[in-house]
Amino acid sequence: MAGTKDIVILGIETSCDETSAAVLVNGKELKSHIISSQIETHRKYGGVVPEIASREHCLHIKNVVEQALTQAEVDFIDLSAIAVTYGPGLVGSLLVGVAAAKAMAYAAGIPLLGINHLEGHVYANFLEHPNLEFPILCLLASGGHTNLILFKGHLDYEVLGKTRDDAAGEAFDKIARALGLGYPGGPYIQKAAATGDPKAFNLPRAMLEAESLDFSFSGLKSAVLNTLNIARMKGEHVDKNDLAASFQEAVVDVLVAKTKRALLKLPQVKTLALAGGVAANSLLREALAKELEGGDIRFVYPSLKLCTDNGAMIAMAGYYHFIKGNYASWKLNAVPGLNL
Amino acid sequence: MKYLTIDITTKVTALSLAQDGNLVGEGFLHTGKTHSERLIPMLDQLLNAAAWQLEELDFIGVVRGPGSFTGIRIGIATAQGLAQVLNIPLVGMTSLDALAWAGWGRSENIAVILDARKGEWYYACYRYEQTMVCIDGPMAIRPEELISKLKRNEEQVFFVGDAAKGAKQYLKENLGVQAVIPPEYHYLPRGAYAACEAWKQWLKAKDNPDIAVGTVLPFYIRLSEAEVNYRKKLSKMKHNKEKEI
Repeated sequence: MAGTKDIVILGIETSCDETSAAVLVNGKELKSHIISSQIETHRKYGGVVPEIASREHCLHIKNVVEQALTQAEVDFIDLSAIAVTYGPGLVGSLLVGVAAAKAMAYAAGIPLLGINHLEGHVYANFLEHPNLEFPILCLLASGGHTNLILFKGHLDYEVLGKTRDDAAGEAFDKIARALGLGYPGGPYIQKAAATGDPKAFNLPRAMLEAESLDFSFSGLKSAVLNTLNIARMKGEHVDKNDLAASFQEAVVDVLVAKTKRALLKLPQVKTLALAGGVAANSLLREALAKELEGGDIRFVYPSLKLCTDNGAMIAMAGYYHFIKGNYASWKLNAVPGLNL
Repeated sequence: MKYLTIDITTKVTALSLAQDGNLVGEGFLHTGKTHSERLIPMLDQLLNAAAWQLEELDFIGVVRGPGSFTGIRIGIATAQGLAQVLNIPLVGMTSLDALAWAGWGRSENIAVILDARKGEWYYACYRYEQTMVCIDGPMAIRPEELISKLKRNEEQVFFVGDAAKGAKQYLKENLGVQAVIPPEYHYLPRGAYAACEAWKQWLKAKDNPDIAVGTVLPFYIRLSEAEVNYRKKLSKMKHNKEKEI
């Protein structure tokens, strides 16, 4: 049971294929964290099926919240507020979480906090590294987004660069599918790449204009698909592991180069944080760590569990919205195309 | 026994506050706004207007489909969320069973037809025998199939449900005097109808320990498109395999 002066936030996340809820006390202690993943349900379809995802959320949301409260040994009466992802994501999935959170907050007589899923990914870092110092440069790379963001303070940020076409994680998923590796793409590419030669194929790295911090991965994606098509037409064998390794290295090279470019522009930044599903990629983590070796920049990233979509990061971002009094209205709706 | 009902399985947002089967307050909105935006604000207004506290509710009734997939889920997630915090039971009902109450006291058969898209209606048929008794369905059916089914048994049919609007002419042309169609305000979902059905379900289920769990299963009737295609693929594979053997 939490004390009466504690700030207790229930975070709810249903933006894609994970139903998750977590209880966070005072922005520090993660008392519970439940994630019900639908990966197995979607696997046979080769990707997330929005209607099935929404159906699954509807079946699991109640139990997931119940488990989170029970494990944290709190009841609704102990909560200070409920934080919920309202975008970006799949509209049908988002709506289940938003509806549940609204009803619970309304019935409990506590504030509702509408959280941007992307902010949540960044705030995953604060769960394990509570005393990060601003300004912070964040590289956010997920299935839907690739951004370089400058955080000047809590919830005070500026987007410096974004993808002009495919997101990094999206490229991973599409290439994994083309290589017949399975879904979700990230872990499968990484596994295949482990035994492949990253120099086997010469793939493009789109750096764009000299000053630009934007990203582009569609040229790389097309190059990989062309390589596969040409080989198929000629009846030649392509080593999937080599191609996966070459592709992965090309993505990581671009992400690292752009991050370096941003850090050079921002000498005041002494912290680099990685966020989003692609932050789970070990080559990316290693390459960035190597790049920053010996320098004075602190490099952090969330543990693997917190890189995926989860309620804990939503509770964490919710904590700062709660402190600022950024309450959502009962009219809060899902915004599938929400941006930073 | 005080209770709330939620029905957002069509374009109508329909709420009711009721006591022992009698309607106390009702909310009806048929506008362009989404259910997500107006559901809780409307509930709040209704409670205030009736001077009821949420804590006074003894149970919640929620319409679980068939109808709009998204509406079904927002309704259930909302009802479950409220019930979870208030620690009260939840009763589920189908949209067709709820709407059948629009035919209370009628001597004709009562056909509920809801727009199911893809050229189909969600349908069930009822008779009024002091209460509403389902005599056919529920199912998804093509309009022409339903017409021939109804023509065969020659009985008069009282039509309710949101599909009645677009089908008025069609039903008159094909069924003639056999079809009776009330005005729109009568045949769209209403909190009053759900309040009747919720009370019926409550009396039936109140002693069943299952309802105290506060979980209601969605009633979609249809599988998702991806599941349909996947099953087709599997049966095709099975079929090809059998041919090989």
